[in-house]
Amino acid sequence: MKNCPALSYCFLHMRNCRSTPCCCLLIRRHRNTYPSLNTSTMSLATAQYEFTDEETQLPPIKYEYLDHTADVQLHAWGDSLQEAFEQCAMAMFAYMTDIEYVDLQEAHKIEAQGDDLESLLFHFLDEFLFLFSCEPFLIARKVKIIEFDSENFRIVAKGYGEKFDLSKHPQGTEVKAITYSNLQVHDKEESHEVFVIIDI
Amino acid sequence: MVVRDYNDELKYLERIDANSWRIKKGFQPNMNVEGVFYVNSALEKLMFDELRNACRPGMVGGFLPGMKQIANVAALPGIVHRSIGLPDVHSGYGFAIGNMAAFDMNDPLSIVSPGGVGFDINCGVRLLRTNLFEKDVQPVKEQLAQSMFDHIPVGVGSKGIIPMTATNLEEALEMGMDWSLREGYIWAEDKEHCEEYGRMLNADPSKVSMRAKKRGLPQLGTLGAGNHYAEIQVVDEIYDKWAASKMGIEDKGQVCVMIHSGSRGFGHQVATDALVQMEKAMKRDNIETNDRQLACARINSQEGQDYLKAMAAAANFAWVNRSSMTFLSRQAFAKQFHMTPDDLDMHVIYDVSHNIAKVEEHVVDGKQKTLLVHRKGSTRAFPPHHPLIPVDYQLTGQPVLIGGTMGTCSYVLTGTEQGMQQTFGSTCHGAGRALSRAKSRRNLEYTDVLNKLQQQGIAIRVASLKLVMEEAPESYKNVTDVVDTCHAAGISKKCIKLRPIAVIKG
Repeated sequence: MKNCPALSYCFLHMRNCRSTPCCCLLIRRHRNTYPSLNTSTMSLATAQYEFTDEETQLPPIKYEYLDHTADVQLHAWGDSLQEAFEQCAMAMFAYMTDIEYVDLQEAHKIEAQGDDLESLLFHFLDEFLFLFSCEPFLIARKVKIIEFDSENFRIVAKGYGEKFDLSKHPQGTEVKAITYSNLQVHDKEESHEVFVIIDI
Repeated sequence: MVVRDYNDELKYLERIDANSWRIKKGFQPNMNVEGVFYVNSALEKLMFDELRNACRPGMVGGFLPGMKQIANVAALPGIVHRSIGLPDVHSGYGFAIGNMAAFDMNDPLSIVSPGGVGFDINCGVRLLRTNLFEKDVQPVKEQLAQSMFDHIPVGVGSKGIIPMTATNLEEALEMGMDWSLREGYIWAEDKEHCEEYGRMLNADPSKVSMRAKKRGLPQLGTLGAGNHYAEIQVVDEIYDKWAASKMGIEDKGQVCVMIHSGSRGFGHQVATDALVQMEKAMKRDNIETNDRQLACARINSQEGQDYLKAMAAAANFAWVNRSSMTFLSRQAFAKQFHMTPDDLDMHVIYDVSHNIAKVEEHVVDGKQKTLLVHRKGSTRAFPPHHPLIPVDYQLTGQPVLIGGTMGTCSYVLTGTEQGMQQTFGSTCHGAGRALSRAKSRRNLEYTDVLNKLQQQGIAIRVASLKLVMEEAPESYKNVTDVVDTCHAAGISKKCIKLRPIAVIKG
């Protein structure tokens, strides 16, 4: 740490200073330089993560974003409740960036426990939000539920994606939190769908 | 929710005067007090439209209108005076956004609710002044905007650049801006011009989960996304010359910097953790609310106390966060103009919190009471001579900073005695959304929005293009309507109008 060469005066401490982080260190790399888009060949199988063919299959999109004044409502559906849950988590990740830019390079596992289906969904999404917010900073393109126990309300799931990188991934909108506000889980014979409002 | 016909709902609403409406008991079940909301004729329409939309039968999805939420808050145990909707009120989570409610600390049944504070604890606005004028900044506007954008980490996934360790974080949570001062990021005078002097003394980092700390650590010193921004603004109009001069604002054209940010992932996680805890406390203590989102706990319960201490830690986090960005903004200006921030007179005019719960003394029915005042999307606005405002503003009243939205004006108001009585010293916090985010994305093109800003002479740096549509001025209520309503209702007084010339956004 030394004084910035461009400035002869320490701006951090107006007068006598103890320590002076160089302000030049604060300048970040240039942003908005995205690599060209190539979705046909997903880069895979690093030494750490070996994926099977099935794992690298991308699921179809079965979610949409609905109107809410301040926030956004996720609406996801599927052939089973499990699929609707998976889709809902993918909807959340897709709101944070342009998901097309995300490659499947690593996978991380989460476990969620709830008291009922609503709180299970809440915790399931919260765990994934947490994976994004700190180490490993995972932005997942694909979410797969490995165990779905709807009697004890427990989920074990895997998120496939990569570390969020500002030089690669366009910034979408930040998700502050998952809310219970009007959280709905519809699990019927003919339709399986969920509604979640995320705080933006 | 009670489902009635729209016309039946209207019977519970009564106009008090040109700028306010009363929500009578019975609008929602178990209301302990009445609700009040402040609107002028333009804002009124938006409120009633929201109610009408909610009265349509057979809706799936959907959400509660702001008025219903104000009424639900009025049904919470221990509430005194009224549940108040400020002019920028709109539907939120549990509480409406722009909702103020106070609970009697001496009533054992009184509650504290994380929903009454919001996820972004101590989200707030800070205003810095400079001694520069528009003519000095206009020629280098683009460079300055770029420099600010390069200095301040913005947008989803960005990480802070202020060196932090887990131990630093613990200290920062406990000390608030005293930490920033010790580490040399701010000036001693900055603290003076902050609510609570930038430090809530009851903060207890041990009441905060590891999860929250993990989320908070990489994000300290980041602006965030959504409606958060840093703007370079110029004084457009001065309504109260004397009060403005007390704030160091001399004339039209003077350049200021406004920073709008909060406690980032840290505060969000504190709120999420508390909501989960309180769900259990509600079942145990048999607290009945009209809405599951109004999760709350008795103030005196373990959960209530823990939340207040964790919330205070999150509030400290937010002040340190805004202080870090104050430091970065000063750096950006200093480099551009080759002058020290001191020579540029870059003092903090004031720093307000608009998502917080605080213990305050107020007069209720002629008696002084200790209240826990929840302000969600609502700014404290204390009148002249109040003991909790700094010496410099003792005669003018507390400065209240109202951030507009991208490309619109911002205002500085001052607190009034009438506001103290009617709203417990609370006023609006910003424009308040009018269009939903999804609708903005569908109806607006980002190129149009950017072109329009360019025509207005506003330099813009934004991390996310999607956000440009969502945060376009068209998506919000007109901030001038909001501020004029506050002024006309007498709950705060207009002092300065600011116009942006450069916007930095997530």
